[in-house]
Amino acid sequence: MSGNNEHNEHHDDGHGGGHHVNYFAIYVALVVLFLISVAGPEVGRITGLPWITLITAFGIALVKANLVIDNFMHLKWEKRLMKWLLTTSVLLMVLMVAGISPDVLNHEGNNWENLAAKEATARGLGGDDHGDGDHAEEGGAAEVAEAAPAGFSAAGSFGTVCATCHGAGGQGDGPAGMALDPKPANFTDPAFWEGRDRARIVTVIRDGAAVVGGSALMAPWGALYTPEQLEEMADYVMSLRPN
Amino acid sequence: MANAKPLATLRSATGIPTGRLAVWWVLASEVVIFGGLLGTYIMHRLGHPEWAEAASHTQTWIGAINTFVLLTSSFTAVLAHQAAEKGNGKEAAKLLGFTILGALTFLVIKSFEWANEISHGYTITANTFWSFYYTAAGLHALHVIAGAIIMGVVAVDAYRGRELHRVELIGIYWHFVDVVWIFLFPLLYIAK
Repeated sequence: MSGNNEHNEHHDDGHGGGHHVNYFAIYVALVVLFLISVAGPEVGRITGLPWITLITAFGIALVKANLVIDNFMHLKWEKRLMKWLLTTSVLLMVLMVAGISPDVLNHEGNNWENLAAKEATARGLGGDDHGDGDHAEEGGAAEVAEAAPAGFSAAGSFGTVCATCHGAGGQGDGPAGMALDPKPANFTDPAFWEGRDRARIVTVIRDGAAVVGGSALMAPWGALYTPEQLEEMADYVMSLRPN
Repeated sequence: MANAKPLATLRSATGIPTGRLAVWWVLASEVVIFGGLLGTYIMHRLGHPEWAEAASHTQTWIGAINTFVLLTSSFTAVLAHQAAEKGNGKEAAKLLGFTILGALTFLVIKSFEWANEISHGYTITANTFWSFYYTAAGLHALHVIAGAIIMGVVAVDAYRGRELHRVELIGIYWHFVDVVWIFLFPLLYIAK
């Protein structure tokens, strides 16, 4: 029935069965390379040369991938068209990564800074010496330092994160808030507090204003703070309320 | 059945059998999907020195065993292709069966690994490192599941001596899943 048909199809394709690869030898090579990559970090530790791990991890990954692609996927014997197609794909991917890498790798530029990323790094590295030195020459250095876990303070976090839009005094006049529509909330305005309570403030800081029907421009910050810290932040915002 | 084959499966403008061309097209798009995800992970990892702490909690030995399992399953997949080339459908089906076994072993080990990590509080929302960890490995695991299901279908056909060329096609896909893991393993487990 169909068997004969398939058989012909397969052998007409120009590469079926023509190449003699010792698959077992390739497999053994892959396993040996794999074992070296697992041993890499240990070797790096013993010799005190951490870059060895980078070579054994990623250099070997490239070699292994190449062995599999050439010999198991038979790309070596595939038509050139196929190689161009895949190369295009890889180049597009590299182009995308290269294009966005300046914005992702850096936490600040000429006209912007990524406060969330800076805070995450400051908290993650703990109270010690704040790892990367970029904070030092930065205007908001004091606040960022304050926001580190060793010294979390609601006022400090407000100054770093919230003040960008809501203003240092909470009057909705922060530099980044100027262009926003709707305007950032003014916590010193009695009208703002009509129908708002502390629980709602906690919710909005944690989940963003969109969840209570407010502006989506008020982003959620829950990932940055512990529940206790969120409570403290809400207390700080409450303290701005005029009586 | 055989007479009702779509025309596209019987001719090829490129000189590459249509089925194989299609698999390569799928993989070309997969390169962008996984490449984009892993590229973004690498950029974040380099921009966030604090991720080293989170990354130190991944379990290297479990990742290593799974790497070995996938390498071995790739080997059985290419042997299945070899058997199919010789027209030995039963042998191809048996070797695809071993490959499926490898896929299942991989998934069982992964589920124990994840259960252990989640019970220690390392969930997908714990921090951005763990978000990437579960997203990248999870997307890969979905490909393992899909591959195992398709291999099952192809193996049943192959056992009856039908559609033997498909053994090569699913093999190419399976090797790609292996290649993705070859990069995931150092990224998530080795480079700490």
